[in-house]
Amino acid sequence: MRQNKAVIAIFLMPAVLFFCLIFIYPIFRTGLMSFYEVENITSGMNEWKFSGLANYFKLADTSLFRISMWNLFRIWAVGGVAVMLIALFFAGILNSGIKAKKFFRAVIYMPNIISAVALATMWLQYVYNPRFGLFTTFFDAVGLTDFAKTQWTAPGNKFWAMLFAYCFGMVGYHMLIFSSGIEKISPEYYEAASIDGANKLAQFRQITLPLLTGVIKTNLTMWSITSVSFFTWSQLFSNVVSDVDTISPVVYLYNQVFSGGNVVTERNAGVGAAVGILMGICVVVVFLLINLLIRDDELEY
Amino acid sequence: MKKIVSLMLAAVLVLSIGATLAEGKTIVYWSMWESTEPQGQVIQKAVDAYAAETGNKVDVQFKGRTGIREGLQPALDAGTAIDLFDEDIDRVNRLWANYLLNLEDLAKETGYEETAIAGLMGSCREAGGGELKSIPYQPNVFNVFYNQDIFDEAGITEPPKTWDEFLDACEKIKAAGYIPLTSDDAYILCNLGYHLARYLGSEGVSKVVKEGLWAEEPAVLKTAQAFEEMATKGYFSPTIGSSVWPTNQNGEMALGLAGMYLNGSWLPNEVKAMTGPDFRWGCFAYPELEGGKDGAEASNYGAQVFGINKNSEVAKEAFDIIIKITKGEYDKMLSEESVGIPSDTTNTEWPTMLASVKPVMDGLSTRWTWAAGIEDNADMTPIIKQELQKLCAGEITAQQFVDNLEAKSASN
Amino acid sequence: MAKNKLHASSGVQKQTSLIPAYIPIVLWVLFTFVLIGWIVAASLSTTRDIFLGKTLEFPTGLHFENYSKAWYSQNVSVFFKNSLLYSIISVALLVLVCAPASYALSRFRFATNKLIQNGFVAAMGVPVVMIILPLFSSVSRFNILNNDTSIRALMIFLYVGINVPYTTIFLLSFFSNLSRSFEEAASIDGCGPVRTFWTIMLPLAQPGIITVSIFNFINIWNEYFMSLIFANSNATRPVAVGLYSMINSMKYTGDWAGMFSSVIIVFLPTFLLYLFLSEKIIAGVTGGGIKG
Repeated sequence: MRQNKAVIAIFLMPAVLFFCLIFIYPIFRTGLMSFYEVENITSGMNEWKFSGLANYFKLADTSLFRISMWNLFRIWAVGGVAVMLIALFFAGILNSGIKAKKFFRAVIYMPNIISAVALATMWLQYVYNPRFGLFTTFFDAVGLTDFAKTQWTAPGNKFWAMLFAYCFGMVGYHMLIFSSGIEKISPEYYEAASIDGANKLAQFRQITLPLLTGVIKTNLTMWSITSVSFFTWSQLFSNVVSDVDTISPVVYLYNQVFSGGNVVTERNAGVGAAVGILMGICVVVVFLLINLLIRDDELEY
Repeated sequence: MKKIVSLMLAAVLVLSIGATLAEGKTIVYWSMWESTEPQGQVIQKAVDAYAAETGNKVDVQFKGRTGIREGLQPALDAGTAIDLFDEDIDRVNRLWANYLLNLEDLAKETGYEETAIAGLMGSCREAGGGELKSIPYQPNVFNVFYNQDIFDEAGITEPPKTWDEFLDACEKIKAAGYIPLTSDDAYILCNLGYHLARYLGSEGVSKVVKEGLWAEEPAVLKTAQAFEEMATKGYFSPTIGSSVWPTNQNGEMALGLAGMYLNGSWLPNEVKAMTGPDFRWGCFAYPELEGGKDGAEASNYGAQVFGINKNSEVAKEAFDIIIKITKGEYDKMLSEESVGIPSDTTNTEWPTMLASVKPVMDGLSTRWTWAAGIEDNADMTPIIKQELQKLCAGEITAQQFVDNLEAKSASN
Repeated sequence: MAKNKLHASSGVQKQTSLIPAYIPIVLWVLFTFVLIGWIVAASLSTTRDIFLGKTLEFPTGLHFENYSKAWYSQNVSVFFKNSLLYSIISVALLVLVCAPASYALSRFRFATNKLIQNGFVAAMGVPVVMIILPLFSSVSRFNILNNDTSIRALMIFLYVGINVPYTTIFLLSFFSNLSRSFEEAASIDGCGPVRTFWTIMLPLAQPGIITVSIFNFINIWNEYFMSLIFANSNATRPVAVGLYSMINSMKYTGDWAGMFSSVIIVFLPTFLLYLFLSEKIIAGVTGGGIKG
């Protein structure tokens, strides 16, 4: 038994060490930092000035940060609903007995393996370009000339343009998860339902969906976790100064702490830490909500 | 499995052995240019020449403007050994002021100022709070650049000096079938800043954005009305409200579809691959406004500047590199290759594309900061930009513009 | 013969009834192809032609020099070497670190077992922004960013650390599914637990290890945020950040053809890898997703 303990320690030590260094300690320190005024991110704790909840109040007071939170919420909610529906729809199609299933699946998933930097550039510099872009030329060609003149990257539109492009890439991943869930459902259910005269749609609603609760939960959780860290698309879709349409909390933090943009602002890494903590809280809240709203009897872990 | 893992590790170790031991001193230079740009290429040559003469090693990192703006601060904070860096005069002297070495002694020792542009050295001292903490090169001026062929075709014989003349020019350009004034998201705020600063001066503009005096300051509404009129009359590019830089800079200005663009004197260089060498550039000072505080003598002008890290152990060597780049042979080459203004006063010849800039530059005496102060409140900048894009696209009225900004800055 | 025919026709019938299912999915795939196809075309065109809307006409022929220009302008080979270095070492280290851990978690009962598992699962939901600031300040205090080799080591350390929870949890199910009879047999032969793990259990979990490794590889290859902040010197940039700086550089020189060829240069290697390994990768995603 003693030997067993030593073995366990040897086996677990490296992983737990990494876990503590990369997760436990930084989370603890970020939490602490968010209650202090920290002029320079590299300053030691003796240079921190305790300021209570001032950093959080400052964030609540800054309209740009509120806008970034609103953007994040829209990305999460609107994008989430759209991606989940399309992904589920495609997963259903893939498992309906069509040919070349593997080919379709591979192509739809492909954006996930491409660097987001490359993908965002393709969309911004090509698809949405007002002169030679795909949308402009396409709608012109099919006769929708007024629609072709839409300024996809104008204020107000730019957010949706970015979200659309982002979702296009995300569908594949969630489709795969749905699809693997559907594949596990025994075909006997469907055969029985067919004999009872239920059509495809009814089968989908009454058999597929209920049996997918676990998978839906997984998908929602993954979507929420990725949304919170929304950064690359935002950075690629804005130029030099951040954009009201594209700014996300992480971009706000990045500008606050690492000072992007054109002109100096008062720097306070404590505010950045507060952003980090708020994002963590978002994840926890969403996670609790998902678990509260979706009862899942089968164990998925 | 174990074998595969150890094989991979071995392969990787071989890959990673690439570190070399340097002889002599090493100077690390973070450059604001890209290695593909003409500036980057000339600087590389200058640095190579320096290294060959002295035996010192120069580690040039071409970061580009984005790379410097986003990367330099955290790197300096993290104590990275960066000896020499460069960027815009205001950015260097304000953002990284804590890291700047006082260069008065080095400049005196080397007699640097004997052949330097006195006005710019003065600007550097002013920006550095009275001390010389940066060395200017690639002087630039930010004003209205225009396409001389379009002006000729539209029958505009002389560049506009007043707002009425400016509107008149717009009308003529429009009638000739071109877009009068274009811009991109990266520069559009300069239009607002310039117009407002003609009324208030750049400090006045800075005060407006920092204290949120949108409704309190009547010049804001007057400016917004001028822009609203421009929008209604179709003087702005139809894509001004949405263009992501450099879409219009390339697609409208360089392709000869638009007449004017409020931009820096670096513009002809940035688009020369598309315009070819025969494009006829013109430049004039942003029009004067009635009852305005500042006139044609005021604008954002300056230079890119070099700064030396105060923690550097090779400051003298870094200064020698500055001399190499900003004097004599390489200064001349830089000016020719990058369509830039020479910084060595013994290099008197300006590139032809910039000939029209010289009179404008010579007429300047009041220096505004970047975008005439309109970007001085980073938490508001994106919001102002968005409202301005809507105003220029004709989506909101001047009054709505003022109201929206007043509402959004109230809580700030 | 007749039977075959009948079968074929019923197949056709079924496929005809599926036409409404084909339409959206074919459109989607078509769009993907147009998107990438146009970028490839643009990468062989010139900036002027692109802006004049003549990308697909190639009025001045094919410009392969865009690629050589993009490649040499920014030392693309350095980016690739770095990404390769980071991904391969991190992936290998992840196996070394996580496989034993998840084996221990799946096999031994001890007081903190459940706690560690829950901690790892929770860590998978921690956004990077929550940990990046302290990491950055530690890194700068240890003066790591001054030396290319130490930056590289740091990147690998970070990539391993960030992916430890996911990899461990992923492998957990593979080890729990292995029968205990292997260990029993080994212990009768006098084989200690450490040796049993390395010589018997690890090879048995190989499918899981390969899957999670491919998945980790692609994630680390494309990682952007951390390398943007930490891999500050040009010599240590991986592809994602390298591409970002290439794109910026092409914008300043007004070279859009070059910009699109940079995009393709970065896109191609992962795409080729995907062509051969798409089934494996997809298996990795679904396996990981369900477990996570």
